[in-house]
Amino acid sequence: MTEQEILSAVQDIFRDNFDDDSLEITRSTCADDIEDWDSLEQINLLTAIEKKFNIKFKLADVRGLKDVGDLLDLVARMV
Amino acid sequence: MPYTYLITGATSDVGRALIERLLADAPDATVLAQGCGDLEKLADLCSRFPGQVRPFDVDLSDRAKVDTFVQLLAASAPAPTHFIHLPALPVVNAKFKAFDQTRFDRDLEIQVHSAVRICRAVLPAMAKAKFGRVLFIQTSYTIGCPPKNTAAYVMAKSALGGLVKSLAVEYARFGVTVNCVAPSMMETNFLKDTPDLIVQAAAEENPMGRNATPADVVPAMAFLLSDEARFITGVTLPVTGGSAIV
Repeated sequence: MTEQEILSAVQDIFRDNFDDDSLEITRSTCADDIEDWDSLEQINLLTAIEKKFNIKFKLADVRGLKDVGDLLDLVARMV
Repeated sequence: MPYTYLITGATSDVGRALIERLLADAPDATVLAQGCGDLEKLADLCSRFPGQVRPFDVDLSDRAKVDTFVQLLAASAPAPTHFIHLPALPVVNAKFKAFDQTRFDRDLEIQVHSAVRICRAVLPAMAKAKFGRVLFIQTSYTIGCPPKNTAAYVMAKSALGGLVKSLAVEYARFGVTVNCVAPSMMETNFLKDTPDLIVQAAAEENPMGRNATPADVVPAMAFLLSDEARFITGVTLPVTGGSAIV
């Protein structure tokens, strides 16, 4: 799976989670860029990503994620 | 007076741990134990406490079946001295935009309407006997600010909280206490629909560094059900490791 394919799937998850069909994410998008992105929303995003890619995160894996780029790299390592 | 415990949701992890605790030193006590399609979970307790656990398979989401259940109890069992109401649909983490009205209605039937119907059936005998204990299981989510995405669960549990306070006042003069325990996230089969990350994060955020277990909650329940707790009523007792403080 290419990074672009992962990004596209993750973007759909972000759009659904934040209820915003026009949301565009990039590698540098972070919690400061999306008003509702708090710790609980982050977990919602991660659990939706787990379901989509059929992977399982550990809390330690996801604690240090700074931005979407970190998230994409993590998913790429696990799929 | 030998005690008769009516426990709904008795097949749950908490229900079974509570039965074990209540019967441990009470050879003359009886437990009327309701479950729904899963009575095999009571098999071990039935064999360890022969004749003391009477299982009933009842779908509490069906009002007619609840009414039949209370009629059956009235005709065939001693009047409950204690009523402990535990059943609930597993909590789901869902945004309000995805609110499942049908599931919520069913949860209200199971948690709230069945409680009202059973209380109406058992409280008169408790009041007449001038003794009774009623106990519900609430949630720390109803203390202070609830977590996002739990509207259905928080609403149903808040309704139970209203019932507890109202019954406590109305039955206090009759020696009947009505209380609830409010555990923080408890690691049981009830969390089967909750993502692991949420469970792990709750444990990490808890001041004690872990989630609750039935072994943490059952002693608090046993206390509120005890004779000694006679002057405590209308209380919501947090069992939270400090994650929610009144």
